[in-house]
Parts: sequence; C-alpha cells; structure tokens
Amino acid sequence: MSKQIRVDWPSCKGRGICHEMLPEAIALDEWGYPLVTGDVDEDTLGLARETVKACPTLALRLVDAR
Amino acid sequence: MNHTTPRTVQVVPSDDTGALRVHPGPRLLDGITHGPSLAAHRSVAGPLPDLALDGLLEQLRRVDIRGRGGAGFPFATKLESAAKASGRTTVVVNVSEGEPASLKDAAVAMTRPHLILDGAVLAARVLGAREIHLVLPGEHPEVRRSMQRAVEERRTEDGRLRWRTHQASRRFVAGQARAVIELMSGRENLPVTSWQPEVFKGYKGRPTLLSNAETYSQVASLALHGADGYLSLGTADEPGTALLTVDGDAARPQVLEVAHGTPWGEVLADHVLDRPVLVGGYHGTWAAPSALRRLTVSRPGMTEAGLALGAGVVLPLEDGDCPLHRTTRITDYLAGQSARRCGPCLNGLPALADAVRAVSRGGQGVERIEHLAGLLARRGACAHPDGTLRLVQSMLTAFPDEVDRHAEGRCSYVEPAADATPTRCLTGAA
Repeated sequence: MSKQIRVDWPSCKGRGICHEMLPEAIALDEWGYPLVTGDVDEDTLGLARETVKACPTLALRLVDAR
Repeated sequence: MNHTTPRTVQVVPSDDTGALRVHPGPRLLDGITHGPSLAAHRSVAGPLPDLALDGLLEQLRRVDIRGRGGAGFPFATKLESAAKASGRTTVVVNVSEGEPASLKDAAVAMTRPHLILDGAVLAARVLGAREIHLVLPGEHPEVRRSMQRAVEERRTEDGRLRWRTHQASRRFVAGQARAVIELMSGRENLPVTSWQPEVFKGYKGRPTLLSNAETYSQVASLALHGADGYLSLGTADEPGTALLTVDGDAARPQVLEVAHGTPWGEVLADHVLDRPVLVGGYHGTWAAPSALRRLTVSRPGMTEAGLALGAGVVLPLEDGDCPLHRTTRITDYLAGQSARRCGPCLNGLPALADAVRAVSRGGQGVERIEHLAGLLARRGACAHPDGTLRLVQSMLTAFPDEVDRHAEGRCSYVEPAADATPTRCLTGAA
C-alpha cells in the first residue's frame, strides 16, 4: 500500500526542509507551507521517513494513502 | 409566514443577540409554552423509554437521523462505532454552535433543555457511559444558565451518571469537534489535527460520542414517539423535522421547526424568495434570487441544487443589500476568526478576503479566488478555511452576472446616488 505525507497544520511553521528533502512529493505554497503533491512510493519511502524525522516542528506523519 | 402559530415564545440568549422568537413546532418545539422544567417536559413528552443498544440502532436506521451540527453524518453509524470501540465511551453534547448566525440550538436549550438531556441520557445508557459532558456557548449566558438548571434537576435522577459542564470560548472555531475535546481536556479551546475520528479516540484517548444539541433532541424525539411516530412527519427519504434559524429580514431572529420536504415558499415570505438568500450560515452557500422557489427543506435536495442546508441557517438579504458586498464583509469577519495557528488559514483567508473585495469593487479577483481555492481546501486542522471557501465560491456560482456588472462599475442591488457617485459596494465602504 502506498503512503502519504500528512501535515499537522497547527505545528507546521513553514521551515521548508520537507520540500528540500522530498521535492517529489512536497512543493511549497506562496507562503512557504508544504503542498503535498503526490503519494510516497516504494522508491521514496526511505527518504520520506527521513523527511518526517527531519521536520524541526515534528509536523509530518506518514500515513496510509487514502 | 404560513407556519406562524399564534403564540411564540420569546427568549433572550444574550445581550448581543437580543430577543429571539421561537415558534412552537410539531416535535422538538412542541410544548415550549409550558416552560423548560423537567416536570413540564415529562408532562409533554412522557417517560423516557428504556431502550437497549440494538433496539435504538434499529429505530435509528429506520429514520436515518443525521448530525445537525452541519456535516450531516448518520448518527446510527457514529453510535455503532462508539459501541464497538474499545474502552468506556464519554458522551458529549455540543451546545456551542459554531455558526454565529445559528440560534436553533440556543432555542432548544432555552425552551426544552430536557429534550436534549433525554437524548444524551439515552445514548449514555445504551453505551454504558458514565459521564455526560455539556459544552455550553461562551457568547450566550442565558443558554448556559438554562442548561445548568436542567442538569441540576437531573443530578438526583440517576446516581450512576456524572454530569460535567464546560464553557466554550467566544469564537467561531471553538465549536469544532477537536476544539471541544481540547477544552474538555483543560487545554486551549482551539482545533487540533485529528489523526483518528473522536468516536474511536477522543476525550482522554477514549471513544467519544460527540454530537450537537439538536441531534440529541432528535434522538430523544425518536425514542419518545417511536420510529412509526417519527416517520409520520417529513418525507419517505428524509423523515422527521429540521430546525431553522431565519434572520436578516425581520427585526428579530426566529427559530422554527419544519418537516423535511416543506417547500421554502411556506417557510419564507414571498418577497424574500426573490432576494439572494444565504443558506447554511457563514460557512454556507448563496441561493440566487428565486432559486429556493423550486426547492424544499431537504438536505439531499439542497445538495443536488449545489446548496448546503448545513446547520439550518437562512439569511435573506435586506432589500438593497448587494450579495457581493455582503460576502466581502462576511469573508473579512471569517478571516479575523482564524485561530491563526495553521499557515494556510492564517495567510490564505486574508488573501481570500482581499480577492473578494477586489471582485466586489469591480477589479480583478476571480482568478485569484480560484488559485487560493487550491491552497485552502483541506489544509487545516479544522473546516474553517474550507467553509469560508465554500461561501466565496458560491458567490461566484450564484451571481456570475452580478460579478460582470461590478466589473463594469455597476451594481444592480444598490442604486447609485443622484450625483452618480459610485455605490458603496464599488467604493468598499462598509
């Protein structure tokens, strides 16, 4: 089953590290907040896990894609 | 109005709302002239039947009661999920209406508080819940007093049940489900991200049955009248009644109860049907002039027509008020009601308000609104950005000709002054 990045919006402060680490699945909006653009497939799963860990405000989670 | 019965009950939820006229109705608002006491309630409604979970679920499935907070989720599904979830369930009655224009829960709370409590007691009994929490509106002191008095009358009735009351803060998002659970948990009354529905993991991480006050009243009404009795009003597809708050046209807001399937022509005065009507409240949708003439009070019927009945708020525009101008003011208000914690809402709602103002003043803004829609939808802890977006998008859908007219520097609702000064919707004056 493919995974998806979900953002805990009240925690997110728009630092943008997630976009730098995972541009395949995360873009930034005009205010610098993450725009989830696609699911996480097997090739990017490891990198996605690193991205979740690297968020300085712990605002990301990897959940089952809906 | 055709529904008008000779005797309405006047209540005053707060100084801000002023007097509210509550019309006696066929079910929830039946017997409101007898007063809000438990004795009066029992004389009108009779004793609360002793139902087991299966019996209540079977009745609920026959009549399909939907959540009346606005989202319309099937109550039977929620109740069954709570029953199946592991851990003891907490029952929560949300009397803190999110929609500032909605007063129907306040009306039931002040005229028939025990009907709300009957529904909560019934749910607690079938779930084996020991605690019932009531979340009371910060902005309506008299509603809080009425519910507190009713709870005091109940404390001695069933020693196993514990009653807790909470006071919500005075802001739009305070009534959102997750914000309510935060308040109950002793934290700030603001929405947080929901990783699981609260029915599985809510208050203290345990299953939580959280529904709005009218929903519990509907459940009580079902138990008291039986499924056959409940089915005798409304339509086959949508049995029962709905509570409506009608404001904006008369001097005082009114709350009334109508059977599902009632034509809007029987609810609103004829001249009002020819005006733009905001249906569902500030998070609702605009009905174009006379659009309601061919529709009835029905959740699916309204959805089919691209409208949302929501929490039953009906706001016809005053004569001479422009829907673009009004949407600008509401969007400004809603942008100010952001809890300012989620980036897209904090930044996107003021940007949306600017774009709506631009459209209202005859400038460019439609494309900007469409762009912002992609940046606001489902990007927050609560539905506030989505609801605000719905209102703005419905303005574009309901009044495309008026948007064009404003772009030409004209407005068909507000007459230009004799000296040809542009009207207030084009200058932006409040």
